[in-house]
Amino acid sequence: MAHPLEQLRDDALREVDSALDEKALDVVRVGYLGRNGSISAWGEQMKTLDNEERPVIGKLLNEVRNAVTAAIEERTGKFRSQKESEALAGLDVSLPGTPHEYGALHPLHQMHERGIQIFRRMGFALADGPDIEDEWHCFDALNTPPEHPARNEQDTFYLSDGRLLRTHTSTVQIRAMESVPPPLRVIASGAAYRRDEVDATHSAQFHQIEGLYVDENVSVADLKGELEFFLRELFGSETEVQFRPHYFPFTEPSLEVYVRSKALKRGEQWIEVAGCGMVHPAVFEAVNKARGDKVYDPEKWSGYAFGLGMDRLAMILFDIPDIRLFAQNDLRFLKQFA
Amino acid sequence: MKFSVNWLREFVDLPKNPEEIAELLTRAGIETKNIETRGAKIDNVVVSQITASSRHPNADRLTVCQVDDGSGTKRQIVCGATNYKVGDKVPLALPGAKLPNGTEIRKSKLRGVESEGMLCSAIELGVGQDADGLLILSPEARIGAPIGDLFPADTILDVEITPNRGDLLSYFGLAREIAALSGKKLKSMPREVKAEIRRSGVTIDATRECPFFSARSVDNVKVGPSPQWLRAKIESVGIRSINNIVDISNFVMLELGQPTHAFDADKLRGSINVRLARDGEKFLALDGKTYSLNHDNCVVADQERAIGIGGVMGGEETGVTDSTKNILLEAAYFLPASIRRTARNLSLPTDASYRFERGVDPEMILRASHRATELVREIAGGTPAKEIHVAGKLPADPADVTLSYEKCDRVIGVAIKPKTVDEILTHFGLKKTGSTSKAGIWKIPSYRRDLQRDVDLIEEVVRAYGIDKIPGTTRGRFMSMTKADRSHDLETLFLRERLAGSGLSEVRTSKLISRSASAFTEDAIELRNPLSEDHVALRPSLISGLLGVLERNIRAGAESVSVFEIGRAFIPPDGKEERHLGILLWGNVASSPNWRSQTKRNLDLFDLKGVLECVVPNLSFRPVTSPDFALAVEVWSGDQPVGLGGQLPASKSSAPGSVLVAELRSTPDSPLAKSTAKKFRELDRFPSVTRDIAMIVPDEISHDKILRTIQEPREPLLESVDLFDLFAEQGGATRKSLAYRLTYRNRSRTLKSDEVNEGHARIRERLKRELGVTLRE
Repeated sequence: MAHPLEQLRDDALREVDSALDEKALDVVRVGYLGRNGSISAWGEQMKTLDNEERPVIGKLLNEVRNAVTAAIEERTGKFRSQKESEALAGLDVSLPGTPHEYGALHPLHQMHERGIQIFRRMGFALADGPDIEDEWHCFDALNTPPEHPARNEQDTFYLSDGRLLRTHTSTVQIRAMESVPPPLRVIASGAAYRRDEVDATHSAQFHQIEGLYVDENVSVADLKGELEFFLRELFGSETEVQFRPHYFPFTEPSLEVYVRSKALKRGEQWIEVAGCGMVHPAVFEAVNKARGDKVYDPEKWSGYAFGLGMDRLAMILFDIPDIRLFAQNDLRFLKQFA
Repeated sequence: MKFSVNWLREFVDLPKNPEEIAELLTRAGIETKNIETRGAKIDNVVVSQITASSRHPNADRLTVCQVDDGSGTKRQIVCGATNYKVGDKVPLALPGAKLPNGTEIRKSKLRGVESEGMLCSAIELGVGQDADGLLILSPEARIGAPIGDLFPADTILDVEITPNRGDLLSYFGLAREIAALSGKKLKSMPREVKAEIRRSGVTIDATRECPFFSARSVDNVKVGPSPQWLRAKIESVGIRSINNIVDISNFVMLELGQPTHAFDADKLRGSINVRLARDGEKFLALDGKTYSLNHDNCVVADQERAIGIGGVMGGEETGVTDSTKNILLEAAYFLPASIRRTARNLSLPTDASYRFERGVDPEMILRASHRATELVREIAGGTPAKEIHVAGKLPADPADVTLSYEKCDRVIGVAIKPKTVDEILTHFGLKKTGSTSKAGIWKIPSYRRDLQRDVDLIEEVVRAYGIDKIPGTTRGRFMSMTKADRSHDLETLFLRERLAGSGLSEVRTSKLISRSASAFTEDAIELRNPLSEDHVALRPSLISGLLGVLERNIRAGAESVSVFEIGRAFIPPDGKEERHLGILLWGNVASSPNWRSQTKRNLDLFDLKGVLECVVPNLSFRPVTSPDFALAVEVWSGDQPVGLGGQLPASKSSAPGSVLVAELRSTPDSPLAKSTAKKFRELDRFPSVTRDIAMIVPDEISHDKILRTIQEPREPLLESVDLFDLFAEQGGATRKSLAYRLTYRNRSRTLKSDEVNEGHARIRERLKRELGVTLRE
């Protein structure tokens, strides 16, 4: 014959099974396992049992309690998951997600940042110089003395005190060499200004990444290899890079850099992206003069320098047709690059 | 400079295809900007002669011409031009002709008068730029001949010559370069002067500005139209034909690169002297304008007045005209810097000044004079004087340059055989005058004054050797972080990321601003020579640019604008450059309505403060007064001010609703950078206990004051205090209701209810006692 506790357990399990909701289940739980529940009452009765019986009944009581608790938990879980599925069954998952406002970084900044990331992988540190410059840093030190045909004051913005807005970031070459002895491997990203009529491809303010590497035995081959590396990192490994001889007063030899890639919208066309060359010995001599020493000895050190047109690069990479869009800052434009 | 390929071929053999010529030049650093095909064969256009002309009966502006087209019968043509006279030879497009511009010619009636074809202008035939009037052909042209015989098909290359290569500004010069690059021979060379050289008859006072001057007279010339070949040549590159003498001068400049000038010798008063102009000296130039000169300008003068601005432009009074009989031909060398200054100061750039500025070849001066003289004799008759008068001396030959083969290899980065180097330089006209096993000493040709140091020669080697043949190499250097690196990282990795993550978009506005924009901060550094009203000054602040962005986006229909900019500002009076962070917020909280939130709240000062809290550690606002703001606050980080912010007055912007702005200085040593320094703190292992305090306080008691009363003196267990509710009673009420949540924690054990209660009670007591607040239970 079954022990009354076993009887109680069977009754409880039956009632658990027949409870129709969580509330009914709770009534069952209180009835058996609550403080005054019928199973709990056995806990008090234990005290009246003799020493022989107590462990046996105690063990049974535990088993019963656990079995009923487990059954209630299981049934509760069932009710809950049922409720959950009912609640979720009708959910229209096609509704839009809760909007999160996020900002966009300006495409020109993104372009500079891409460039800086690549150059940093190539071991360049950053350098900086002012936008307001003097004629010496902008022209004379860069081997472009007054009356030099390449020195075009008409295209230069002047302040009333005779200073000017730099017409290229090459001024940072001079600034960097003035403050640090060779070797030197730096880039500078910044704005330059030209007194140009504004149109779809010209802006009074434009942006460049300037690079300068001065070391022992820096060669045209290094300039070529390193700029090729940069441009392939930027435009993709398929990119063709072409160097064409050119003229800048502050480099000798001077080159212009063109790229061509099927991945670009302008397809088969060669696109000019940079001017570069080997630092002219006259530039080193000007720096030495300003430093008051001879550390940039053109017979000991050589260097290359380059200037990349960042507006142009951003226009190519992002298919932007008009340079004026950069300065307009229409949020519909900016958010396209978020 | 524009080059006719046909003409160029007279000097050197060229590839058949103009694209190949362009490629050859481009690879050597001489960029071809444009390739234009000219004078293509046009059928049914012939040379005709106008034999009679009468007015059109029904149209004032038209005439009716009888023309001889060589067929034997006269044709009647209606014509709108007026620049011809009877007897002129002109191009006639017969019915059936198709002109390069697409016009098809057929017999037609114009205002009731039959026209059997069309008389053409240069532009209609695509043989010149001249669109006014008929193209008057040379009297020698054979009537009935196809027009193509006079204007053979040609290609015009527009070549960009860099400022260091003045020697390429002529057919001879470019041909010489092509010959050097392609290994071809030049077909003809300018001839030596046969005249007797006399050091008399001309004088130079301005010996620095004009080191050398020559003059040769040619008597009894017949001034008239140029022969067809001469006209075709100069017109093919866009120079207008004037008369045979002037055309010859221009032709020689194009051919040899040396400008010359012809004076009417009978109008000169006494011998020629080259001197500096007197300050205020007036000069009527060939362009019909009067220039006021100064002592910086070099003039060619006779004994009474200036007759030419040296190397720039001749004078009107002594110019060659149809009645000129005797001419004096000038060929000289002018100092490039002086010419440049003069042409620039007078705003008078000319073909001549362009060449003198870049330096002409001293050895070409007398050859050019001779060439011009010979042409004048052939074309305009006349008897050249046996002697040529000269003064001064030619600039010295360029100094020899020593090139070490080892350095050449080192700079280029590949080993090039000394023999190859020598060949290249020899092709370019350099002569090796001495050598060791390691280096060569090179004599530089007179026309290559740009070759001054060894690197200049190395560039020639690179150009001719081919940059493509130099394999790219890479190397590296480890560089320490610089101040610019730190500044970049603060701005990009911290400020930009945080702000974009908070929903603000980055803008980049012009650093050059308009006068009205600078009104935001009265002073701004102004440009001396602005180009447009939009760009007159350097921004002293980013705010005006941000307001421009706001207005543009409102016009574009934006409901919300949250933007920031990081960039330079230029601080008056000396334009000190600072890096600033500007923020602007306007409009609704959400940029567009959405189904999850019906909040239609406008952004306000606390949204601005919230954004700033993302980037400014220990942020606080301190009210200040500023005429630029309706409500102004100084932005502080701990005990340091970092910028200014607030709400703009309605008058500053046309935007409806409140516009919030802030502008902070961003430097690597500013407090902003401190938020980038991060340190680990042990995670809390013991639970916290929270207690809320709700209170009613008089309006004038600030949150800050309540906070300080709660926090001071410090309750050791109190971890944080958060304001979670604020209710201001409406309608002139003087009290407000606030609710704070206080969090207590002991970092080394679980809290007991009693100790929390004790501390909390002390704080409640303090609030009542010190601030007189009413606590709500």
